[in-house]
Amino acid sequence: MENMAGTRARLVWVVNLSAVALVLLWIIPTIGLLVSSFRDRDQIASSGWWNALFPAEQSTFIRSALPETQIEEDGVFVISGNLFEGQESQGEFVAFGVNSRNPNAFEPGDEAPMSKGRTLTLLPNGDYRLTSPEPHVGSRGVRIFVTLIEPARFTLDNYKQVIFAEGIGQSFLNTFAVTIPATIIPILVAAFAAYALAWMQFPGRAILIAVVVGLLVVPLQLALIPLLRFHNNIGIGKEYIGIWMAHTGFGLPLAVYLLRNYIAGLPREIIESARVDGATDFEIFRRIVLPLSYPALASFAIFQFLWVWNDLLVATIFLGNNEQQLVMTGRLRELLGSRGGDWEILASSAFVSIIVPILVFFAMQKFLVRGLLAGSVKGG
Amino acid sequence: MKHLIVSGALALSLSISSTSAMERELIMPMGDERLNWDGFEEMADLGLQDEVLTIFGPWLGSDNNLFESVIAYFEAATGAKVEYSGSDSFEQQVAIDLEAGSPANIAVFPQPGLAKNLAAKGHLLPLGQDTEDWIKSNYAAGQSWVDLGTFPDEGGQSHLFGFFYKVDVKSLVWYVPENFEDAGYEVPETMEDLIALSDQIVADGGTPWCIGLGSGGATGWPATDWVEDMMLRTQPPDVYDQWVAHDIPFNDPRVVAAIEAYGVFSRNDDYVSGGGGAVATIDFRDSPKGLFDSPPQCYMHRQASFIPTFFPDGVEVGVDADFFYFPAFAEEDLGRPVLGGGTLFAITSDSPAARAFIDFLKLPLANEVWMAQTGFLTPHLGVNSEVYTDPTVRAMNNILLNATTFRFDGSDLMPGAIGTGAFWTGMVDYSGGQSASDVATAIEEVWKTSVN
Repeated sequence: MENMAGTRARLVWVVNLSAVALVLLWIIPTIGLLVSSFRDRDQIASSGWWNALFPAEQSTFIRSALPETQIEEDGVFVISGNLFEGQESQGEFVAFGVNSRNPNAFEPGDEAPMSKGRTLTLLPNGDYRLTSPEPHVGSRGVRIFVTLIEPARFTLDNYKQVIFAEGIGQSFLNTFAVTIPATIIPILVAAFAAYALAWMQFPGRAILIAVVVGLLVVPLQLALIPLLRFHNNIGIGKEYIGIWMAHTGFGLPLAVYLLRNYIAGLPREIIESARVDGATDFEIFRRIVLPLSYPALASFAIFQFLWVWNDLLVATIFLGNNEQQLVMTGRLRELLGSRGGDWEILASSAFVSIIVPILVFFAMQKFLVRGLLAGSVKGG
Repeated sequence: MKHLIVSGALALSLSISSTSAMERELIMPMGDERLNWDGFEEMADLGLQDEVLTIFGPWLGSDNNLFESVIAYFEAATGAKVEYSGSDSFEQQVAIDLEAGSPANIAVFPQPGLAKNLAAKGHLLPLGQDTEDWIKSNYAAGQSWVDLGTFPDEGGQSHLFGFFYKVDVKSLVWYVPENFEDAGYEVPETMEDLIALSDQIVADGGTPWCIGLGSGGATGWPATDWVEDMMLRTQPPDVYDQWVAHDIPFNDPRVVAAIEAYGVFSRNDDYVSGGGGAVATIDFRDSPKGLFDSPPQCYMHRQASFIPTFFPDGVEVGVDADFFYFPAFAEEDLGRPVLGGGTLFAITSDSPAARAFIDFLKLPLANEVWMAQTGFLTPHLGVNSEVYTDPTVRAMNNILLNATTFRFDGSDLMPGAIGTGAFWTGMVDYSGGQSASDVATAIEEVWKTSVN
């Protein structure tokens, strides 16, 4: 017996460790995205997010002050200052150079000779002094190549850029205007249909259910063009009512199937005794079935809300692309630029757009946990 | 409470949607003497006041703002209202909108291949003989612009469907002048010099090229530009035309030789930052950043005129980075060929305002407004090139004007299955080590089976 208990304890450990490992595996990309969203574009391009927390050795070049800031000292023309002026970065310089071919030639404190008799001195704290026997000319500062140890650095600029982007508030409202009706309408329709398919006797019921299940496997992309053509013909193309209808249509098969299975699992006795007491179908639906089905309704509401909130495809096709109709996902895509290269925006916009779905999820979570069992367990 | 917020948000958003689009501002005042105002006044007489014109195109962000600044003058001239919307999935969306019957009045195509497909399905409207004659006499190499915009319609009849406006130059090599100065390199004038310079850089312990082909689903396209440029530098232009039109097979020895000429650069591990095998895994948007590293990861990057968008923050084109013409072989005697691209405007839903907009684009003013800002090249002969305020753009336009041969990006002209499919993936296979002739034969197989 002791042996068995020991095996069981070890098994529990294995299970727990596997669970932790799986959670970590699952969450690592999200953490990476979160860290990346606080880094600027050049940092993302030059090093991985896992390096973000530690001081990093970085090789770069920084320009000296402009030639027009030079002063003459004893016949020598001097430009001086600190390399960190006007820079976001900080840190300590460990090497410097004056030529791109040999950027680490000198130690801080050395005097580096340059062309035309010029010299450059750089101290570890970034103070530099550039001297020349002739006046400095040109419209740009001299490139000073440096290697520096830079402490971890984070920025909120990406979030500022997303949150204060032109038209983002409008798009936020547009998304709500799409999402809320597109969540409520299919639930209303599906609840009636589910009750009818579960508890009302009429010819062809089994075939109808089979058709609904069959529709689950039809990819919605197939329907895009015919449906938009139909909307154009009846005059609701590229309007809110059109996209509500489209989302309703695309969401209904799953909604009907899910709710029917749940409602069919309600105890037969309750419904039959209500019938005996003379309740009509509508009364049974409204007074008995609907209150008992809240978990299933809520779980489907969450699914549909998340799907519509994150949707880009249906919105770009059934809704216009102009300022007044552009949804959040479309706006964020626009922020990525004509050729989609601004990764830093991608990371921060993901976290901005995730806020509402997370709120919805936590608000309805307790329904979801029960609702996930919808249709699988009799009685709910 | 929750319902209140929800319905409030809904009501608010619906009320905002009913307000009209914001007013666009003119970047230069009416009558400004830097612009050519010919034909501007006459547009007021077309009776388009309060007509609504919708335009759908691929431009977003800064390109969008620049195009809006041109639209502002159309609105000022005619009194019509223009609604422009841009999308980065333009290609898919314009096809869906046309199939479903809800297109904008005008579509702005980034390349002619798609316009050709849609014209063949009867979705585009002919621009008419007047526009054709106008292009012939007012564009440099007018006939070639007419030919590029002329496609067969449903019934196989050829019409002019596309009006070119805004041209890009692709035969450019980007470099950092200060890095060249530090190392004592000169800008090469011939392809032989360019190869010698590359060898010199290798001998000095550097890496000459940054090449990146990665582009999500479009991975491989930067290499197609390389091959087209090489084709124009190793063969006369009529062979290029035959290649694009499939009059010669894709695995013709001359095409294979052009792919190999590209391979001289891309498959040489010493030449390419990261090694020749890595080019397909490096994103084209990231690859130019190597120019600006310390020490430089590479010294040169061949890419079209749009690439400065992806330079690191603070890089000023013309000072921190510059470009030179991707040179031709001195021994081939093919002049100075230039590879380019361009956007074409087509009418997808007819209206007087749409016709008026095409006429508006013919005005010198419509070109000069964008020229006075940035990133606009034009073959229009009637414009005043003094309005270029950006010296780099003027230098690009000089490359265009000095060209002895101008050819349009071939992959944009080939059928979609090749130009946006097999050619791309073939170039990835080539980077992966397949031989040029195997790759060309595989593309030829696709072309034969999918198109004919």
